[in-house]
Amino acid sequence: MNSKIFRSNFITSLLVLIVTIILIFGVLFEYFENQLTNELKSEATYISHALENEGEEYIDNFKNEKKRITLIDKNGVVLADTSANEDELDNHSDRDEVKEAMKDGSGTSVRYSNTLMEKTIYYAVRLDNGNILRVSTTQQSIIVILLGLIYPIIIILVIALIITLILSYRVSKSIINPINALDLEHPENNDTYEELTPLLKKISAQKRHINEQIRTAEQKQEEFRLITENMTEGFLVIDNQANLLTYNSAALKLLDITDVQEGTVLMLNRTKGFRDTVHRVLTGEHSESTINIDDKHYNLIANPVYENDRVIGAVIVILDVTEYTNREKMRSEFTSNVSHELKSPLTSISGFAEIMMAGDVPGETVVDFSKTIYKEAQRLISLVSDIIKISELDEKNSGFEQEPVELFELSKSVTERMKPVAEKRNITLNVLGGTAKVMGVSKILEEMIENLVDNAVKYNKDNGTVDVIVTSSDNTCELVVRDTGIGIPQSEQSRVFERFYCVDKSHSKLVGGTGLGLSIVKHGAMFHGAQIKLESTEGKGTSISLIFNKA
Amino acid sequence: MRNRFDEQLNNLNNELITMGALCEEAISAAVKLLIENDHVMKENVLESDKQIDQKERDIENLCMKLLMQQQPVASDLRTISSALKMISDMERIGDQASDIAEIAEYAYGSGMQSEIHIADMARATIRMVTDSIESFVKKDTELAYTVIEHDNIVDELFDKVRSELISAIESKTANAEALIDLIMIAKYFERIGDHAENIAEWVIYSITGKHAKDDE
Repeated sequence: MNSKIFRSNFITSLLVLIVTIILIFGVLFEYFENQLTNELKSEATYISHALENEGEEYIDNFKNEKKRITLIDKNGVVLADTSANEDELDNHSDRDEVKEAMKDGSGTSVRYSNTLMEKTIYYAVRLDNGNILRVSTTQQSIIVILLGLIYPIIIILVIALIITLILSYRVSKSIINPINALDLEHPENNDTYEELTPLLKKISAQKRHINEQIRTAEQKQEEFRLITENMTEGFLVIDNQANLLTYNSAALKLLDITDVQEGTVLMLNRTKGFRDTVHRVLTGEHSESTINIDDKHYNLIANPVYENDRVIGAVIVILDVTEYTNREKMRSEFTSNVSHELKSPLTSISGFAEIMMAGDVPGETVVDFSKTIYKEAQRLISLVSDIIKISELDEKNSGFEQEPVELFELSKSVTERMKPVAEKRNITLNVLGGTAKVMGVSKILEEMIENLVDNAVKYNKDNGTVDVIVTSSDNTCELVVRDTGIGIPQSEQSRVFERFYCVDKSHSKLVGGTGLGLSIVKHGAMFHGAQIKLESTEGKGTSISLIFNKA
Repeated sequence: MRNRFDEQLNNLNNELITMGALCEEAISAAVKLLIENDHVMKENVLESDKQIDQKERDIENLCMKLLMQQQPVASDLRTISSALKMISDMERIGDQASDIAEIAEYAYGSGMQSEIHIADMARATIRMVTDSIESFVKKDTELAYTVIEHDNIVDELFDKVRSELISAIESKTANAEALIDLIMIAKYFERIGDHAENIAEWVIYSITGKHAKDDE
């Protein structure tokens, strides 16, 4: 920009300079010629007067002068000449100035020499006696003058050139500097050049527009960030070279990565499932796979991103399906457990029935068999009713009405019912503590206490004790069932609340446990939002506490 | 638009990570076969080894193409030349993993693997392989140096396993064939450890331009 302005400045000044010089020369030359002619005129006048007074010889005084004076008679014959022998000169009557003078009294003419190096100016005047006096002078032509002046002209031009250069540079600088110093942040506050005002207005409008767009873009990005950051699913965006472009913190958490470097997405994870998913999605296919990290299960869902029918990248979503997978596993385990538990009593029922069907069985054996069948059927019934209870509790909104329940009274009535069973093995049942009211469903709470006390009796040693302790503090009510039984090994303590889990299967069967008792307690506690605490020492006893929020 | 050379280097990096991951899978599958006698794993090891061989050829071709077409200099040249060296180490790891898989079932039969430190050795080796690949992926020289350090542990474990096997042979309590297989497996692990160490050294070379051994 600077150089362009500078160049046009410079060229303009130079052109003006040259044109001016040429014009001045033209004008001056014209002026000089006029001056010369006037001089000739006055000279001719003097000489004519002198001639009239002194006679022809007067001319001879002018020999060797620069000016040439010729005297011609009315027929054109040269009478005298200062620079040539009059006899050698031809008749001058055909010369323009002479003709003119003969006709009008005076005449001028200009003639160039053959080489154009000189020109001669003639002035002729008619004397009173009819003779013609011609005065002439030679002048160098304009070209010669120019040639003669060439050095000064060049010097002047060079000086002018230098001055022009400096000035042009200065001028262009002084034009450009304020433009460069324009405050484009606030285009309208500048008053450097009036000419620039429309441009600045445009810029300012554009700037507002751009700011608006940037704000929108930032807002969009912020929204996007908020959405992705608050997703529990991992979110990755990659380009078609598998380079990681965007990720959210959930993705890093799920993939167990602490810091991310720029580069390929395989840095985050390079297991087979992940690799294959990335590879497949970049060929333009939707792909899904499951990967395992430690003991977590993740689902990868990847979708290619197209632009003009070309895959330019992919979006990968990572879902934590650990819970789902575990639940699936539990459900299938539960189903197989249920089938198994249901099948064993049925097998013995069917077996005994088959034998009796054959006839041939003595009477007292039939009674024995029937007893066994009855026992197994009872077991089946209790199993099925336990399963139903659990299923009911599983569906949380099964229409139970919550009401204030008095835990102490409830415990008392439950233990009262259990007394006959306990007395058979000489186990003492105590209910201690005081009143404690909780919000809950008495049917479920009763079930829970019953299961706990039942377990405490079943897995107790003969002559043992079972204490049910009900206490209440400011916010909570606690119900503890403590026995002096066989206890639960440390390693099994975390599993006893699972369905069908029995520490010792054969013992459970002997005492009639279904393996669902504690599971019911757990589900009941979950239903009531209560905590369960288990403390147990093998061989010494177990204590299970339920901590309720106070009604 | 990034230029083609960068794209190719990127591709090389991805392929190397993939090959490294395949090595990890091969070795852990081989170990599962050896320690847990998980028969499905044998197929996995052989399959991984096949893929590793294929990858070696692919990466070799890619490197050659890069060297010829792009005539890389400085760190790019280092990256490519160390890639060429690394893939041969990875390929050896794959081969040795499949060698282990071939004899693992016989060795398992003896029941000896629970009495000697072969499982520890396997774990240490897997860690070395994983860490060497990880150091490459993350361009982490510090991790690469720990891999080199770690090789001593595997070497020590090899000596331990060896003397345990010698005393087992002397006491004649176990099937001699299985013991020989176990010493071979132990040697394979030791070799894999060496290859992992090599990989780590090439990682250091490709990043710093210095050979790890020069510092010693």
